[in-house]
Amino acid sequence: MKKEPICLIINGDSYDLFVPTHRTLLDVLREDLGLMGTKKGCGEGECGACTVLLDGQPVNSCLVLAIQAVGKKITTIEGLASGNQLHPLQEAFVQHGAIQCGFCSPGFILTAKALLDSNPAPTEQEVREAVAGNLCRCTGYQNIIEAILAAAKEMGDAKNA
Amino acid sequence: MPEYKVIGKPIIPPEAYLKATGQAQFTCDIKLPGMLWGKVLRSPLAHAKIHFIDTSKAAKMPGVKAVVTFKDTPGLPFGTGIIDDWTIFARDKVRFVGDEVAAVAAVDEDTATEALSLIRVEYEELPAVIDIEQALRPEAPLVHQHAPGNLANRFFVERGNIEQAFTKADFIVEDTFTTTQVYQAYLETMNAVAHAQNGKITLWASTQVPSKLRLTYAKALNIPMQDIRVIKPFVGGGFGAKFENMVDLAAMVLSEKSSRPVKIVNTREEDFIAGNPRVPMKIWVKLGLKKDGTILAKEVRIIAGNGARTVYGPPIMATACYRIDSLYRIHNIRTEGLLVYTNTVPTGCFRGFGNAQMTFALESLLDRAAYEMGLDPAEVRLINAVQSGDVSAHGWYISRSGLTDCIRKATEASDWEAKRLSPKEGKIKKGIGLACCNHVSGNRPFFRPFDGSAAIIRIGEDGKAFLIHGESDIGQGQNTVFAQIAAESLGIPFQDITVAEVDTQISPFGLGSFATRGTVMGGNGIIAACQQAKQMILNHAAAMLAKPADNLDIVEGKIIVKDTPDQHITVAEVTRNYMFSHGGAPMIAVGNYVPDTVLPDDKRYGNISPVYPFGCQIAEVEVNTETGQVQVTGFWAAHDVGRVINSLTLPGQVHGGVATGIGWALSENMIYDSNGHIQNPGFLDYRIPGSLDLPNQFHAIFIESDDPKGPFGAKGIGEPALNPTAAAVANAVYNAIGVRINQLPLTPEKILAALRGKND
Repeated sequence: MKKEPICLIINGDSYDLFVPTHRTLLDVLREDLGLMGTKKGCGEGECGACTVLLDGQPVNSCLVLAIQAVGKKITTIEGLASGNQLHPLQEAFVQHGAIQCGFCSPGFILTAKALLDSNPAPTEQEVREAVAGNLCRCTGYQNIIEAILAAAKEMGDAKNA
Repeated sequence: MPEYKVIGKPIIPPEAYLKATGQAQFTCDIKLPGMLWGKVLRSPLAHAKIHFIDTSKAAKMPGVKAVVTFKDTPGLPFGTGIIDDWTIFARDKVRFVGDEVAAVAAVDEDTATEALSLIRVEYEELPAVIDIEQALRPEAPLVHQHAPGNLANRFFVERGNIEQAFTKADFIVEDTFTTTQVYQAYLETMNAVAHAQNGKITLWASTQVPSKLRLTYAKALNIPMQDIRVIKPFVGGGFGAKFENMVDLAAMVLSEKSSRPVKIVNTREEDFIAGNPRVPMKIWVKLGLKKDGTILAKEVRIIAGNGARTVYGPPIMATACYRIDSLYRIHNIRTEGLLVYTNTVPTGCFRGFGNAQMTFALESLLDRAAYEMGLDPAEVRLINAVQSGDVSAHGWYISRSGLTDCIRKATEASDWEAKRLSPKEGKIKKGIGLACCNHVSGNRPFFRPFDGSAAIIRIGEDGKAFLIHGESDIGQGQNTVFAQIAAESLGIPFQDITVAEVDTQISPFGLGSFATRGTVMGGNGIIAACQQAKQMILNHAAAMLAKPADNLDIVEGKIIVKDTPDQHITVAEVTRNYMFSHGGAPMIAVGNYVPDTVLPDDKRYGNISPVYPFGCQIAEVEVNTETGQVQVTGFWAAHDVGRVINSLTLPGQVHGGVATGIGWALSENMIYDSNGHIQNPGFLDYRIPGSLDLPNQFHAIFIESDDPKGPFGAKGIGEPALNPTAAAVANAVYNAIGVRINQLPLTPEKILAALRGKND
């Protein structure tokens, strides 16, 4: 088994690791670093539960090798809040009943963050398209869509204030 | 209805903050010192004899700490309390692709996976039976020797006189419907962490039924129940699947053998091929009606697929056979159900528990009857709707029925009449369809020893309450509803209630999350515990204040003297005084609720649930007649929930149920090849609805029928939210294109074939 020494920058912290070259970013986050907020829903890039941001872009971390993430800025759900201050998207998910079992929530929140970073005032259809790769079985998406639209408005209002 | 302080309010589940920040710990997130990874070796064949299993190479592999097969288990047959057709790992035969043959525990997942490939199993392949109808043929291979003809169970019920009733009918209609085996698709696959120490085992389980696991697993492992401790962390959805399962048992056996904690997490594919998907059914229904739409008689025959061992097939089939007879006033009934073994994945509970299957059949056929008789389908439902005070043909007492209101509100809100009668023109045709449902909140025969619930309230020196129950929050927000009920009952703020994690070492024996029972059973148990706790507080306050206890009350955490409004002390002052004058003892109250339901007699007669929820759903669809694609564009779901407990989380229950129902209606189906391999065991080929597949226009409407038997008037919502959805969608497709498809799912291929048939 070939291993490589790598350094990953995750939520602003750097981690020196020695990982098998075939090890996924997801497994490194969860199994090696204990960052359990990133969930493994299928391991095949089909459910979006393991979504993290690589340089701001949402990726299925089960389809990214850890060695491919070297030199990129990795954001996981643990890195979104500032201290005890939740990100407006996190707050909106909580307030709008967008979270039931919560297993898909980290992935949705990060996908939504990437959307709002590039499109601060999306339409409902744009939100639905952006999260189409994230599966949820509890909510029927209704409250998730509402939460993302509400967070967009909240963040827009804060910017204009 | 009285106005409450906490009941009916939009209360945020406190754990939502943990879930939004990635801090919520699910079973699959648990890491214990020295923990091993377990992996299960599964059968590649649907039916085969096992000649021998050689585990020696795997056991010698560096990093492997335990390899186990049937020989490492007590070898006792066991089951979920219905048919003892389970063993831990296959004994001498495998009976479905995915059947558990052996398991390995190793230092990491890669090592465990590699070790599986070193286990040699010599199989002798046997003819397999995959199809439920073929399984009943005399020449079909036998799945179990104890079940001649592959018959796992038979159900029969008869009321009134159907022959006579059919002769009086003005209109008779009959048809056959097929409902598919579908997968619950919770996002957290089945997984477990087990730790055996000193002859006792702790199991962290992703489960709906913590106490029942303990009961079943004690029998399987041949150890006393008290030697198993089940802890339920956050659960990433269940929808019926997460009852007893082999993943838990494999982890427990591996931990016993290795003396180390062991975690097993199903891959998504394993979860598809060896979970507990929905019981597939073939349902023949015949209805006799009067000219005005009154149903006079109903005859039903069902063949249901149990899979290769019994999870909950018998009660699910029973439910399909007779639960729906409390939806409409039908008194001439004959129903026969046959449950068959096949060499396919064992089937189990899925939101709706058999009633969803039958609702698709009956509500589709009733719709057809209405159209063929020239009646409004909504009117036909209204004529037959069960009313408050009715006793159904099977002796079920309907204390409150909001069904009529559900139909009226849903049709009003959706502009039903105009849309139904609108001309269907163009390539993309719009249609609207309606279906109703009933359900239970608790199911007395499910667990024969009892139904009901108990709760413990512990109040410490700070006046805050710790609520201990044995039911199961699996993400639906059950704990928040329980805390609301406790806060309202005790008269203290919601924030002062902490709900304990279910842990069988301290929790009451809770039956758990199924049968839409949690809110009603658990809630009533909590009210009973709170009434006792409140009386303890008032009695002690009475002594402190030198006032009679019946002159005191608790309001927002304060003890008030009813006739002296400005005099009060806090609950915290009373409970602190109590604790410090009782050697540190907290105030503890244990309350229980036993519903006034009965075990049905040998003719299946008897009231099985204290309250009965109802609903009416209306789907609006667009059918592309060139591609056959169906898009649900609008949805109105009106549900009689008795009383809204949490106005924030309740709509989410309906949204989720409907979404799953739309998936069942339009795309989901576990497809087998002739060798018993599931062809689509992943989310790419087995499509559950995504955000683009569901309507933007979604309206949840709640009818508050205020049931005197429900906690604060409430009934359950979990399963009714899904029961009528597939029929509503299918009926809308009929309204759009004038053809009926009785075989789920309504795929583009079937729509196009039906359209071709219509035009020929």
